[in-house]
Amino acid sequence: MLIKIGAALAAVPMSLLALVAATGVLVVDVREGGPAGHHFVVPVPLALAEVASAFVPPDKAHVDLGDARQYLPAADDVLKALAEAPDGELVRVDQRDEKVRIAKVGPDLVIAVTSPGEDVSVTVPISLARTVLGDLEDGQVTPRSLVAALREARMTTLADVRQGEQHVRVTVW
Amino acid sequence: MKRSVVGLLAVTALAAPVGSRVWAQTRVPWIHVRVEEPRNDSKVSVNLPLSVAQAALNLAPEKVLSDGRMHLGHAGKGLSATDVRRMWGELRASGDAEIVSVEDKNETVKIARLGDRIRIRVESPERNESVSIEMPVGAVDALLSGEGESLNLRAAFGELQKLRGEVVKVDDKDTKVRIWIDEGN
Repeated sequence: MLIKIGAALAAVPMSLLALVAATGVLVVDVREGGPAGHHFVVPVPLALAEVASAFVPPDKAHVDLGDARQYLPAADDVLKALAEAPDGELVRVDQRDEKVRIAKVGPDLVIAVTSPGEDVSVTVPISLARTVLGDLEDGQVTPRSLVAALREARMTTLADVRQGEQHVRVTVW
Repeated sequence: MKRSVVGLLAVTALAAPVGSRVWAQTRVPWIHVRVEEPRNDSKVSVNLPLSVAQAALNLAPEKVLSDGRMHLGHAGKGLSATDVRRMWGELRASGDAEIVSVEDKNETVKIARLGDRIRIRVESPERNESVSIEMPVGAVDALLSGEGESLNLRAAFGELQKLRGEVVKVDDKDTKVRIWIDEGN
């Protein structure tokens, strides 16, 4: 009898865990430097973020692009061509101690900036960028569609920033 | 068992050239731009598949470029697109030859047609500068296929898809620029 009750109780968190794993989790990992530095790990289930994003007031999501709006279809064409293009390094800038690299790796654009004491790496899934452009054509970024697009970017480290002893990493699992 | 392994190897051997041919066909042309400024310890490389560069053309402001055509308007001071088009029509018929050669004490400009290429060389020993531009005749034809004061960049890009090798080389005492097209990143 006890085994049955235990199994029933365990089933609830296990089902929740399975649901979260199936729908994706955004993990923000912050490590502060120094001996007293803190280490925060904030997991945000994407399903929860999607529900929460539905409550963002529409006026907060409104973006006025002005004349730039006419270039959105062309920008989308560029992203589409990039998505279909083979992988490779697109931009490399070396200037004294600073380095910038932009590469297409699979479905992502990877931007890496290195300077003394600072390393920044940002991964932008091309599909996510196209979603944003698509939203912008309607004059507003829909947080819900952004979160939904993050699902396409699972198992990706979206941002990795090292500054001195501080390290921030944002990953979608 | 042995027969099936032999059969598998035979199929693989037959498929290999087909696979490599498919791979060769999917190689796309890339345009590379390299700018070096040794004095500033600066190097910039841009490598783009031509398809991406072509799509990016549409991002140019409409007053400069619309529908893949570049409008010179008053920007082409002194020499209009119509003038260039007329001159090109005459020069094109001349076959392989040094079309233009201007030499003065400061600068030498030479424009020559070599087969299906147009080669432009500008040398300025005094300023320690040299510019070399090489374009296929077809690309110039395509570029000038616009009407009035417009250059048809989209058509020129289409022709560049067939070009491999160095297109532009600029060397001066501060800056080195190279633009070339190949099939690799």
